[in-house]
Amino acid sequence: MMNNAFALAGIVIKELYRRKDFYVLFILTALLTLLLGSINFFNEQNIARYVKEFCLLLIWIASLVIAVTTTARQIPAEREQRTIFPLLAKPVSRGDLIFGKFLGCWIASGIVLVVFYVFFAVITGAREHHIHVAAYFQAFWMHWMMLGVVVGMVLLGSIVFAAPSSNSTISFVVILGILLVGRHLNKVADSLAEPTSSILYTVYYVIPHLEFYDLRDLIVHNAGSAPWWAVGVATIYAMVYAALFQFVAWMTFRRKALN
Amino acid sequence: MAEVIKVEKLTVEFPAGGAGQQTKVAVKNLNLTVSSGEVFGFLGPNGAGKTTTMNVLLGFVNPTSGSASIFGVDVRQPIARQRIGYLPELTYYYKFLTAEELLRFYAKVFRIPKDQVESRIDEVLKLVELEHARKRLIKTYSKGMQQRAGLAQALINDPDLLILDEPTSGLDPIGRMKVREIIQRLKNEGKTVFFSSHELGEVETVCDRVAILNQGELKVTGRVDDLVRENQMNLEKIFLEMIGYKSPVTV
Amino acid sequence: MDDVPTKSSELKMASPRLILLLLLASAFSLSTVLAQWHQNWAGNRSDNGSALAVVMGDSRRIFANHFFTKADVYFHSGYYPSIFDAPKQQERSHMEEDLTQTHDDEDEDDHHAHDESCDHGEEHGEAEFLDKPRNIIDAFGRNFYITSHSHLAEGEQREMLPWLKIAAELDPQKVQTYTVASYWLRSRLNKPKEAEQFLREGLRVNPDSYEILFELGRIQRENYTNPDNARNLWELALLKWRKQESAGLKPNEFNYQQIIGFLGALEEQQGNVVKAIEYFEALKEVSPAKADIELRIEKLKVASEPQ
Ligand SMILES: Nc1ncnc2c1ncn2[C@@H]1O[C@H](COP(=O)(O)OP(=O)(O)OP(=O)(O)O)[C@@H](O)[C@H]1O
Ligand SMILES: [Mg+2]
Repeated sequence: MMNNAFALAGIVIKELYRRKDFYVLFILTALLTLLLGSINFFNEQNIARYVKEFCLLLIWIASLVIAVTTTARQIPAEREQRTIFPLLAKPVSRGDLIFGKFLGCWIASGIVLVVFYVFFAVITGAREHHIHVAAYFQAFWMHWMMLGVVVGMVLLGSIVFAAPSSNSTISFVVILGILLVGRHLNKVADSLAEPTSSILYTVYYVIPHLEFYDLRDLIVHNAGSAPWWAVGVATIYAMVYAALFQFVAWMTFRRKALN
Repeated sequence: MAEVIKVEKLTVEFPAGGAGQQTKVAVKNLNLTVSSGEVFGFLGPNGAGKTTTMNVLLGFVNPTSGSASIFGVDVRQPIARQRIGYLPELTYYYKFLTAEELLRFYAKVFRIPKDQVESRIDEVLKLVELEHARKRLIKTYSKGMQQRAGLAQALINDPDLLILDEPTSGLDPIGRMKVREIIQRLKNEGKTVFFSSHELGEVETVCDRVAILNQGELKVTGRVDDLVRENQMNLEKIFLEMIGYKSPVTV
Repeated sequence: MDDVPTKSSELKMASPRLILLLLLASAFSLSTVLAQWHQNWAGNRSDNGSALAVVMGDSRRIFANHFFTKADVYFHSGYYPSIFDAPKQQERSHMEEDLTQTHDDEDEDDHHAHDESCDHGEEHGEAEFLDKPRNIIDAFGRNFYITSHSHLAEGEQREMLPWLKIAAELDPQKVQTYTVASYWLRSRLNKPKEAEQFLREGLRVNPDSYEILFELGRIQRENYTNPDNARNLWELALLKWRKQESAGLKPNEFNYQQIIGFLGALEEQQGNVVKAIEYFEALKEVSPAKADIELRIEKLKVASEPQ
């Protein structure tokens, strides 16, 4: 299981660094951040927070783009290019395939995040003359955990939906929806009439609350770090959801005919 | 002799393509056994159900009814695949990898001991004559080269059973001869080879036994020598007869 | 073989589209750069014709408001109600409230503003927009965002400036953007020159803005101690205000009180008692603190009598 999963993960990671997407997004992020950082506002030196916020926003967008598109194409590409046939003709189970793809996409996005966050730390260090190591590590870690849920979700989507582009689009809508209003769904539910209210409440409790993993405000406003126990609990919460999505993906894929 | 492949009363139906159409029966009540050490030719016109049968053997397609086993293990168990080498028809390999990397990946999946991996890769690449291109990305390969790479991956685990779906398609005459040689060699090593082909001359020279399939139904199966002797004609004539082909010239 | 590229291009289709999304998002933030460049190029030509305005239309105004609010969010160090939290939305952003307080006593002003801004939050009930956690998800989520009220520390107010600048670029007609930025620049960040320049930019687009003229006057008065320039500017502001009033435009009453109040104080300090009394009399008419002003007028009259 683990052997096969890591072998598959290696392929995913190789694919990521042999494609241009990541470099394009990183260079774009770096350029835009540096460009914005170079603007003079009222001859005031050391204005840092807007650059931090902008850079983090770009990192979030870029990481989601990479995680979602990379994950969404994995299994459809295996099927379209028929590489899945020689693969599954070997002692690789379909569960191995799903777990291996998950691991590959997740580790690949983790590597991408490391690059992005190192860049972020360098930029802010240069402006604030201080790097909040603990807070930055938490932000990276939580971001990565969130991408675990995202990768699991998209992997499931790639088995349910036929076309990778529709899967990406739907995944994006769901992810952005959760990030933007997930926290407030209960309040919205309170203001609605009964049947809808209960439905919305159910949605509120069922969705993975990706917004937990967004620590951007804390680091933009230098508001310290989150409690470590909470980071630990959130890590477990993310792993549970990632596992759940993989399990459902496996259930769906297990008996599916391939051709 | 031990039965390496055993197919019993296998029927595979596909759901209808368009509305109002009936389900498509790709394989109908097929019984087949392939014994250890045999080279078995699986013949039939286009759309006869050869690939579908192989897909069942590898667990890609679920039988509508009937069963299939390899080395006595039901084909749904991935365990059954440790000793198999499989060459699909029309397959492309990870294009962003080199042949070497592709084989290294498959070697890992087969858990080939680390110290044997490189020598094994050298061996199979030499066999399929891809050594010169081993460090090139597969996307730069020609069709025949891709087919060779496919053959290399089918051989990487030194399998006891080879399932080859049209192994010579896309190969030049030298490549075809090479494949025949490889099959011959595997046979001499005591391996079992189950392959489909449209090259009847080639089948006649390398196969011990053949089965001819038409529209999902098994028309004939037996030793090549026996068939030729009994029918007093070559395999090609037998094949055409079995599938009910009437030459417009003779009519 | 031929179908290979088709298949792979189909698979890759999603990513360029998402890259496009990323580009669009950044384009908005970059509009600040472009708008500046455009303004230089367009010179003082009327803003109505600007290409950006045509392209973006009214959405510019929405974005400008968004960024203006963003400055206020920064002022509160990220502690800010979302649209879901605030059924009782305040009319003015908090960073403006500091600005509109009339600080007669300049010595007190420095520490006073900071202390006060710390506790005025509670007065306005803004700290309570986050009520008790409603459920476990709500409670747990609060570990990961800012849940306590604080304001930017002294000197850190510079962090708001980029958003104000962007807001002004997007909606140059929004006068508060200039006055708020000017307030922080001149009173906290010791940058009267930049404040003045920014206000002048605003005045070019809004030549009738008494608010901007009033702020310009304060810079002259408080930062450059140039009472004559201040008087000119404030008198002009008063003129603009009255012109708008007679045109039936209902200009802001509070600004009027500020203008004449400051003019009165200026004349009082310069020894122009008659003028000072004149202004204070006018102020008395409209101010809620009638008694105080009456007292001040009395004092002035008494002081001037022996001469
Ligand atoms: N997924 C599918 N859905 C519907 N029908 C299918 C499907 N796959 C195969 N078939 C049908 O099943 C029949 C057998 O197809 P199969 O691919 O097994 O033929 P084959 O013997 O391998 O032919 P060829 O020599 O062309 O490779 C064909 O009629 C084909 O149209
Ligand atoms: Mg076939």
